Amino acid sequence: MTYNIRLAGVGGQGIITAGNIISEAAMRSGQKVIMSEIHGLSQRGGSVTVDVRIGDCYGPIISQSSCDLVIGLELIETFRAIESFENVGTALMSTEKINPISLSMHKKEYPCLEDLMEKYGMGTRIYPVEAGEIAMEAGSSKAVNIVMIGVALGLNLFPMTADEVVYVLKDTFPEKKLGINMKALELGIALSGRMKTNIRENSTIQNRSS
Amino acid sequence: MADLVQFIDSKIEKNPVFLLGNEAIARGAVEAGIEFASSYPGTPSSEVGETLSHVADKLGIKFLYSVNEKVALESAFAASISGMRSLVFMKHVGLNVASDPFVSIVYTGTRGGLVIMTADDPSMFSSQNEQDNRHYADLAHIPMIEPSNPQEAKDFVKAAFELSEKYHIPVLFRTTTRVSHMRGPVNVGEIPKIKGTRRVFERDPERFVSLPVNAIGLKKMLMEKLGEIAVESDMSFMNKAQSNMVSEIGAITSGSGYNSLMDAVASHSIEIDVLKIGFTNPLPRGMIAEFLRKHDKVVIVEELDPYMEEKIRAIAQINGIRTRIYGKLDGYFPLVYELNPDAVLQSLARILNMPGYIQGKSPKTGVDLPPRPPVLCPGCPHRGTYYVVKRSVRMSNIKNPIYASDIGCYSLGTYDPFDEADTLISMGSSIGVANGFSMVTDQKVIAFIGDSTFYHSGIPPLINAVHNNLNMLVIIMDNGTTAMTGQQPNPGNELDYNGKPVTGIPIEDVVRGIGVSNVSLLDPYNLKESFATINRSLHQTGVSVIISRRECAIIRDRKLRKNGEIEIYTVNQDKCGKCMNCVENFSCPALFIEKGEIQINPSICDGCGVCAEPLVCPFNAIEVKK
Ligand code: SF4
Ligand code: SF4
Repeated sequence: MTYNIRLAGVGGQGIITAGNIISEAAMRSGQKVIMSEIHGLSQRGGSVTVDVRIGDCYGPIISQSSCDLVIGLELIETFRAIESFENVGTALMSTEKINPISLSMHKKEYPCLEDLMEKYGMGTRIYPVEAGEIAMEAGSSKAVNIVMIGVALGLNLFPMTADEVVYVLKDTFPEKKLGINMKALELGIALSGRMKTNIRENSTIQNRSS
Repeated sequence: MADLVQFIDSKIEKNPVFLLGNEAIARGAVEAGIEFASSYPGTPSSEVGETLSHVADKLGIKFLYSVNEKVALESAFAASISGMRSLVFMKHVGLNVASDPFVSIVYTGTRGGLVIMTADDPSMFSSQNEQDNRHYADLAHIPMIEPSNPQEAKDFVKAAFELSEKYHIPVLFRTTTRVSHMRGPVNVGEIPKIKGTRRVFERDPERFVSLPVNAIGLKKMLMEKLGEIAVESDMSFMNKAQSNMVSEIGAITSGSGYNSLMDAVASHSIEIDVLKIGFTNPLPRGMIAEFLRKHDKVVIVEELDPYMEEKIRAIAQINGIRTRIYGKLDGYFPLVYELNPDAVLQSLARILNMPGYIQGKSPKTGVDLPPRPPVLCPGCPHRGTYYVVKRSVRMSNIKNPIYASDIGCYSLGTYDPFDEADTLISMGSSIGVANGFSMVTDQKVIAFIGDSTFYHSGIPPLINAVHNNLNMLVIIMDNGTTAMTGQQPNPGNELDYNGKPVTGIPIEDVVRGIGVSNVSLLDPYNLKESFATINRSLHQTGVSVIISRRECAIIRDRKLRKNGEIEIYTVNQDKCGKCMNCVENFSCPALFIEKGEIQINPSICDGCGVCAEPLVCPFNAIEVKK
């Protein structure tokens, strides 16, 4: 069995870093991991995805029907990721918005969350996360990726422990950036506790397959 | 960076290490004791160079980015025949550029191991075509090796060096995007101490001077060598039969195709024997014949062209084997794009008659979500150039201009709002096709080319244009780096990747040296002056060159952020006249509309200030954020 994660966002959001942290932590927990990266032209502010496959697998490509978890660092990109599979178990979605220039160029505005929810992601359990605010609270808007990892950990969506992730964070970030990222992880984990209840109350978001 | 540090510090006791396919290739080469490496950057091969650039000095390896792939290969060849193990690497189309020496050095042969790594790009994630470079192995009669994952990438590179040295022949090492850009666990080995001293080249003109008189004998020797290497392939650890003792059906596969096959059969519990081939030229003919004999049906699972399939069908025919073979030639597998597990499953389902798995509906695509193609970065100097050229052309009333574009970040000028690319073919082709257009049309021809691309392949066509008195405006967009592939240095730079001083070659000197008299310089951050310069040049006849010079915003950004000097911009809503020119026609990705107002995203604005110029914002509403 493999556990398949798609990370989605916009070039420059730290997606490869997030993928690496998840992968290395899973490796520490003794599992086999394969990750795919995007390089070159597509990195220039375009949609970027990184896939992490944990368990017994050979190649980096997730099949249409077997994506277990989407972690989206940006709204539209989260839905794009969900929509690129036949079905997705769970999606964690940062409510960060980065305007695609294709919109403003044609004098259009960013669609609102409710409209997106209405149209896309049917059948997927979607958890919206105010990751931008939490990242600021941790000390940097750039820490959205780590906040999301924290939330996923807190919701038990990763086949590894927080300790394993902490170990990798210490290995990844230099001293002066480690504090912010540790804080982001903690705040993410803490938020997940509150989110579970939120989700239960908010059934329109919880399960859209009904 | 963490991974690069890890790469060099990795000791065997840290195993396994989490490496990218390309990093694993670099590691394998280092473990093989290379003393020389050269390249021209190109996705998906660039990270081999990125990795080596971080460790080469420390390990005493001579590594350099060459002006183009041909020179990279010729340099590595020289290092090899001087006795050093050498690695040269490039993207698939890079081998087209290097193909001239490539074919002939297989005749002459080598001394120190020489491995030529080339990375194909099925599905064209960042390339202009999806050529299958395995055909080069046949064209040049060169042995070829293909890994499927990072561990194999590392191990097989070492084997490639040994093979090369044993038979004094270069070895082609072919990957694809999915292998080069796949990260996975790798057990690393020891890094040997290399001599790293200078060598004395021992002459042997009968080998290394490939005049016809010598080449005639060399060709015959090469074919004999290849015969011996074929025996080697049949015994190689890189070719493996994985038998589940299924006599009915087997699969022969290689590279990424192997991964997709294994994932497809594992997830659907399909029983199949597998012959995995890593040594793909010469193919292990004996092994293949034996595998064919053992199975009633054999499926060939390979990406892109039916390269192995044609040969396997020939092996069956020569050996009188009647096994039913399935592949691309009979329409069971697609001839285009990468082979993902779903595609493999579809094909297997047809062959094995598993109707339940044949897909009826196509997956959801979310096509109506706002698209987000790659864009020029906030602060990218190319945006100013394209903006001004478009305006000048319009103001000058030039009808039907032809925009000949080229390969680099500025290829993105093809998208709206600029739409300034009518052709884009290969490195340097902007000036090349401009030659032809100038000869056969009366339209104004404008060629866009980046600094690296100009040095790489733009100089000969410029010579051709001047020599033949042609008419064109060439705009060299000099951002001081090879930006698209990750800001590698190029011959215009005064410092190399490791900070060592090198001789920068100013583009204006080259251009004037060729004999272009109309040469102007502009700063694309200064729109007003740029506008005047371009206007002037548009009205000149003959060959005019404009050098639009401003450093890549990523490099500028890195410097400024380090010094904490970044000043970002904001829109003064009281002044904004809502003409929308900035978003519609300049379209920096930091600009957006919210509740009818123009806003600037402070986390991505890099403070270039170009949008604040009156040519973009006639109301002077864009100001430095206090
Ligand atoms: S990397 Fe540099 S050259 Fe390329 S789009 Fe960004 S700023 Fe422009
Ligand atoms: S100053 Fe204007 S053009 Fe430059 S990056 Fe910021 S928003 Fe974009």
